[in-house]
Amino acid sequence: MSVAVSEPIAAIPRPALGRLGAATLLLLPIALVNVVGFILPVLNLLRMSFNEALSGGGIRETFTLANWFGLAGDAFYLELIINSVVVSLTITVLTLILSYPIALYLHRSSGRWRTFLTVLVISPLLTSAVVRTYGWIALLADQGPIVQAITSFGFAPPRLMFNTTGVVIGLVEILMPYMILSLLAGFGRLDPRVEEAAMTLGARPVRVFWRVVLPLTLPGIALGCLLCFVLAVSSFITPKLLGGGRVFLLATEIYDQAIVTLNWPLSATLSILVLVIFGAALAVYARILRAID
Amino acid sequence: MMHQTILSGTPTALTSRDAHLRLDGLTKRYGDTEAVAALNLDVPKGELVALLGPSGCGKTTTLRMIAGLITPSGGRIVVGRSDITQMPVYRRDMGLVFQSYALFPHMTVARNVAFGLEMRGVSKPEIEQRVREALAMVRLEPLAERRPRELSGGQQQRVALARALVIRPSILLLDEPLSNLDAKLRDEMRNEIRDIQQNLGITAVFVTHDQVEALSMCDKVVVMKGGKLEQVGTPVDVYEHPATPFVASFVGRTNRLEAMGKGDGTAIAGGAVLRIPSRAQGPVEIMMRPHRVRLTDSDGASASGGEGTNRLDGRLSRVTFVGDLLQYHVDVSGTELVVEAASDHGRVFRAVGAPVSLMWRVEDTMVFGRTA
Repeated sequence: MSVAVSEPIAAIPRPALGRLGAATLLLLPIALVNVVGFILPVLNLLRMSFNEALSGGGIRETFTLANWFGLAGDAFYLELIINSVVVSLTITVLTLILSYPIALYLHRSSGRWRTFLTVLVISPLLTSAVVRTYGWIALLADQGPIVQAITSFGFAPPRLMFNTTGVVIGLVEILMPYMILSLLAGFGRLDPRVEEAAMTLGARPVRVFWRVVLPLTLPGIALGCLLCFVLAVSSFITPKLLGGGRVFLLATEIYDQAIVTLNWPLSATLSILVLVIFGAALAVYARILRAID
Repeated sequence: MMHQTILSGTPTALTSRDAHLRLDGLTKRYGDTEAVAALNLDVPKGELVALLGPSGCGKTTTLRMIAGLITPSGGRIVVGRSDITQMPVYRRDMGLVFQSYALFPHMTVARNVAFGLEMRGVSKPEIEQRVREALAMVRLEPLAERRPRELSGGQQQRVALARALVIRPSILLLDEPLSNLDAKLRDEMRNEIRDIQQNLGITAVFVTHDQVEALSMCDKVVVMKGGKLEQVGTPVDVYEHPATPFVASFVGRTNRLEAMGKGDGTAIAGGAVLRIPSRAQGPVEIMMRPHRVRLTDSDGASASGGEGTNRLDGRLSRVTFVGDLLQYHVDVSGTELVVEAASDHGRVFRAVGAPVSLMWRVEDTMVFGRTA
């Protein structure tokens, strides 16, 4: 009897690898993909930023800091960087303001209505940003319905396209689904009972929002803002089309330098700079998360 | 009772706050169903009243209407002389302790307790003072700077209590406050809540599905079923003189027996004539508490009870040992009746299958009309 019981226990094979070994093995594929698909190209880009651009698109392999110093000394590029960051921050804040009430409403709705609304929020992601940008061009054009509606009230026709305004409008709409989904993911800590507790303790709805709801949703806000800021800085097609070549942002400039001017070293330098900005954004995000907790 | 009269008759600071709660035909309808149906209830100042009932009986809905978190479909809620039915939650001045505690996870214990005072615009030094007092009351001063998630369930419960009481609410509302605690802690908190409530002389409504909590803590027990009141009374009243079969079986354990009343103070059940404290005629339901029934050998001549005693004969079908009690399950012509006895009496266990007699006093017999 006891022999029969002990036998299967002895038969259980000991794992050939330790926990660490198994973990390494499981992580290996993604690590390989990352190295080949991301880290090596970025290193290549970094190397490229130290090369010298020759006229006519030629590249001379060398090691010069000329591109970097050139950027720092050129007022156009400084403005470009600042402009990119400011526009992206504006877009992020506007996206947050427009998305927050929707996300909160969605969080509090239930049943079929909630499913329907969720599908409605996600559905724009099923269409490419190019198509949606063209949609905005149709809407924002000088003879488009929005300008006509505004002028019919007797206002001077505003320019809503081929300028920063157009880029902001287009990108805010394109980024809203990402913001709403990030906010929803972060609303998990929001317990309706906690809001009720605040009310029974004498807090009016506005104060419940500022003292309880907002603080508890800060992680979601931070996540959504990080995501939207990164997407805004790196967005290319919408600024290109809605900016009409008159709005200068990092992503469009990188494209111009790489494809039009054929100055790959400068293009690489700007790309690395975008990565640095992302790194800074991540650092700010990490600090905020630590401060919240 | 005496104590109450003295308190309400003395013009002290205690009476400055007219915290008598009255529910007047309070109703809540969801579509066609009435969660709470025309409830009338009086909670005198300084009393702790339990709303007791199974889940879905409307007790929590009632509590949430009192707090202002649910809008009634009809009826009135009156505190003192003012009708607060339409008053928004944040002006009601009631302390609510939630089943899940609902502490603010992003604030320390001290900030949690201070919240209600900050909302009332109390000055900083006074807030500090009162938060300290409230935390001392629930013995949590050393944990003032902790976050809720660093506390045990019992500690969180006490923070919730301090937070609700620090605003000196007119009425304290407790929504199943003990159901998330383990058994030992529950006993402790039961006494603590009762002590604090009595020391402060605060009017309180306590929602629970646990009859032990209701009976042991409260001045008055309100038994609810299907959105309606079944019975309102002192714990002793409700336990000893249940108004309906539902109350009898929900509050404490009971044996049920179907019988035919003869209209002369007797009834026929299980082939025997039982004396009942009622002149009921026709089908009746007879109930008795398991621990009020004695088990004897059916062959003994001593088994003939006498004037004030009822007797039924049956066969012992099962004996269950539950630590402090022995439960004897007896089959009386097809109906299973339970007898409970202290398990340390030294008597030898009876053999299953043995013929036994059940005896209980006539006044321990509860009789209810049976609705066909």
